Amino acid sequence: MGKIVFAGAMSHVLDPEYYQAACGDVGRQKVVAAMDAIASMGDRFVETKAEGLIVVADDHMNAFSFNCVPAFCVRIGRTVQRMVQDSAEAFDKVLEHMPEEYPLHEALGNSILEQGLQNGFDLALSWEAPVDHAFLSPVNTMLGKRPIPPLVPIFVNAFIAPQPTARRCFQFGQHIARVVAKSPWKVGMLATGGLSHFPELLLGRVGETDTVFDRKLVRWMETGEHEPLLDLSADELHKTGSHEFLNWMVLLGAITPARADVRYFGELPRINLAAVEWSLR
Amino acid sequence: MEPPVSRYAINSLLYHLKKDPDLRARFIKDPRTAIADADLTDAERAAFVAGDMRKINELGGYLHLVMSIPKIGTHGGH
Repeated sequence: MGKIVFAGAMSHVLDPEYYQAACGDVGRQKVVAAMDAIASMGDRFVETKAEGLIVVADDHMNAFSFNCVPAFCVRIGRTVQRMVQDSAEAFDKVLEHMPEEYPLHEALGNSILEQGLQNGFDLALSWEAPVDHAFLSPVNTMLGKRPIPPLVPIFVNAFIAPQPTARRCFQFGQHIARVVAKSPWKVGMLATGGLSHFPELLLGRVGETDTVFDRKLVRWMETGEHEPLLDLSADELHKTGSHEFLNWMVLLGAITPARADVRYFGELPRINLAAVEWSLR
Repeated sequence: MEPPVSRYAINSLLYHLKKDPDLRARFIKDPRTAIADADLTDAERAAFVAGDMRKINELGGYLHLVMSIPKIGTHGGH
């Protein structure tokens, strides 16, 4: 019988140069502290001997153009490539030092997809979508030079309205947990993004966060009170800059009612950096 | 109020400016000619021609594209 043996969530632009440019010395200091905490999470992940790693994250209009934006998409196949951007700037530049290709856990990805379609989740699939910093920055930071296990990248449409609801994301996570439980594998799971940044996705509000909202989310995760999170609205997530918390909602559905341990929380003007790990028994 | 359904034409153009280096080069050289065939409103077209990313974003341009188009995007402060 399979099991989710590790669960973590974290911010997904993990790069000292990016935060040095955006926030100065304090930005560098805080992201380095967050990255150290995430690397320590990697130590515990390795100890679990997980045979696969599900990564739930959002696309930044790199994999999917406006010809199709799936609410949920399972990246299937045998390998996945990192996104390539000529003359990359800002968060895209974070990818440049990372490996270009990663193995996929084909059987687990197929199981999540096939059983999803059989059980009311009309999931999209892709054999070609590349993955951007939202997937690879956390994975590479957490594991460093250690082997990266076969991945199952799962895209959530966190940004392009209308997005899936928080409740639906949670339900999808519950589906993933059922699939893993029926499988023979020990599986790790990551959700990435956030916390609060870029409220209303307005350039004029870059540099604002909603720390009160974030601390409320964190408190609910620490106490395992997931019910209030199900009612988070698109409007709340949009106004507070918490769009990417939808990725976290998928993970929460998979491990509920486990309680979170906050490994790092650091406020910056641009974003609240966070790294959280769940106690799974 | 829920966020509005995303605006297609302006974002399609932003996406292609990011992913198509030839279009981007033509845009940098002569923005009005480069986007002549794009299905934009007058306000959107004026914002592109002026290179006013804040205005493009306010008109519905997706923030992460506005921030990450090489040589054209603006990264925002803080």
